[in-house]
Amino acid sequence: MTGNLSQVFRALGLFGLKKFGSASAAPVQHSYRSARKFTDKHEWISVENSIGTVGISNFAQEALGDVVYCSLPEIGTKLSKHDEFGALESVKAASELYSPLSGEVTEINDALADNPGLVNKSCYQDGWLIKMTVENPAELDELMNEDAYEKYIKSIED
Amino acid sequence: MPQGPVRVLRLGLRPYPDALRVQERCVAAARAARPRGAPGESLVLSEPAQPVYTWGLRGAPGAAAAARLRARGAGLVAARRGGHVTFHGPGQLVAFPVLDLRRRRLPLRRYVQALEELGLRLCRRLGLGAARALPPPFTGVWMGDSKICAIGVHCGNHITSHGLALNCCTDLSWFEHIVPCGLEGKGVTSLSQELGRHVTVEHVLEPFLDSFREVFDCTLVFSEDPGD
Repeated sequence: MTGNLSQVFRALGLFGLKKFGSASAAPVQHSYRSARKFTDKHEWISVENSIGTVGISNFAQEALGDVVYCSLPEIGTKLSKHDEFGALESVKAASELYSPLSGEVTEINDALADNPGLVNKSCYQDGWLIKMTVENPAELDELMNEDAYEKYIKSIED
Repeated sequence: MPQGPVRVLRLGLRPYPDALRVQERCVAAARAARPRGAPGESLVLSEPAQPVYTWGLRGAPGAAAAARLRARGAGLVAARRGGHVTFHGPGQLVAFPVLDLRRRRLPLRRYVQALEELGLRLCRRLGLGAARALPPPFTGVWMGDSKICAIGVHCGNHITSHGLALNCCTDLSWFEHIVPCGLEGKGVTSLSQELGRHVTVEHVLEPFLDSFREVFDCTLVFSEDPGD
């Protein structure tokens, strides 16, 4: 019975229910999801269905001032963690963006072309910058969670 | 805030691409100094020996415009900074502060304001009390409707590069062939034009450095070595 149940659950996409499934089932490629994580360069990434959405933090958008232009990579660009992937321009300043993880760019936020101010107004929602695949989920563990990031900001602000 | 001295490299009259190369080495040195906690900041000063038009993330001239500008005898250089197209050439003081904003706990927009303050203090020292800074998109230092000092910076890993360009005795007719900084209807001016006498880059170096020390609260040490 348990073997059949695990097959049913897998077919239904309910991968997390191991207590009903057979312990000897082959390793399952489950949908990877994480809460928002932060880099020390003030980018954030949150992962859903194995796709990471990347933006800059509120601390960063305040430090930049009004964003007037977003220079973003092309879809398909392969990035390694720490690679520079674009720049935001504000108050005559071009500020570089660094990839939080390794992966491939799957989408860029087209709304920013006409409305770059979204990065300031809604840095965690509508002002997202790019989406990318997560080549190596272990890299996420190297990033800060929200609490750690808040502490980090306090430490650099004094 | 004690940061260690800022190394000043006075290049004198040099082609603009040379100054960019020196700047790159300074940026590398600043990055390398950081994990050691060592002072690694620089200020590169030069006077472009030949006329060039440069642009930032935006403002690249199309092919036809580029050909026209070249035909006038100017070079064209892409510079990864904020700000649109502008001109650099003889008679202009070009200053590239390579500073560590993380060590200075200075947000980028406050750094740009500090550059404006630097330009304002210098103008006032030279007798131009009417100089003012305006809010974005009019970043820079203005005399009335004419810009006397352009600002455009780059920031990577909290290390700054590029900076400002102050017209001392620049031939302002070079600006007629572009829309400087993408701002229609605005003019450009120079210290010489405003003061009614010939003011060279050499004349302004000392007051510039005094103003820099004040605004960035630092000591300066003169060097020929980018430190890398």
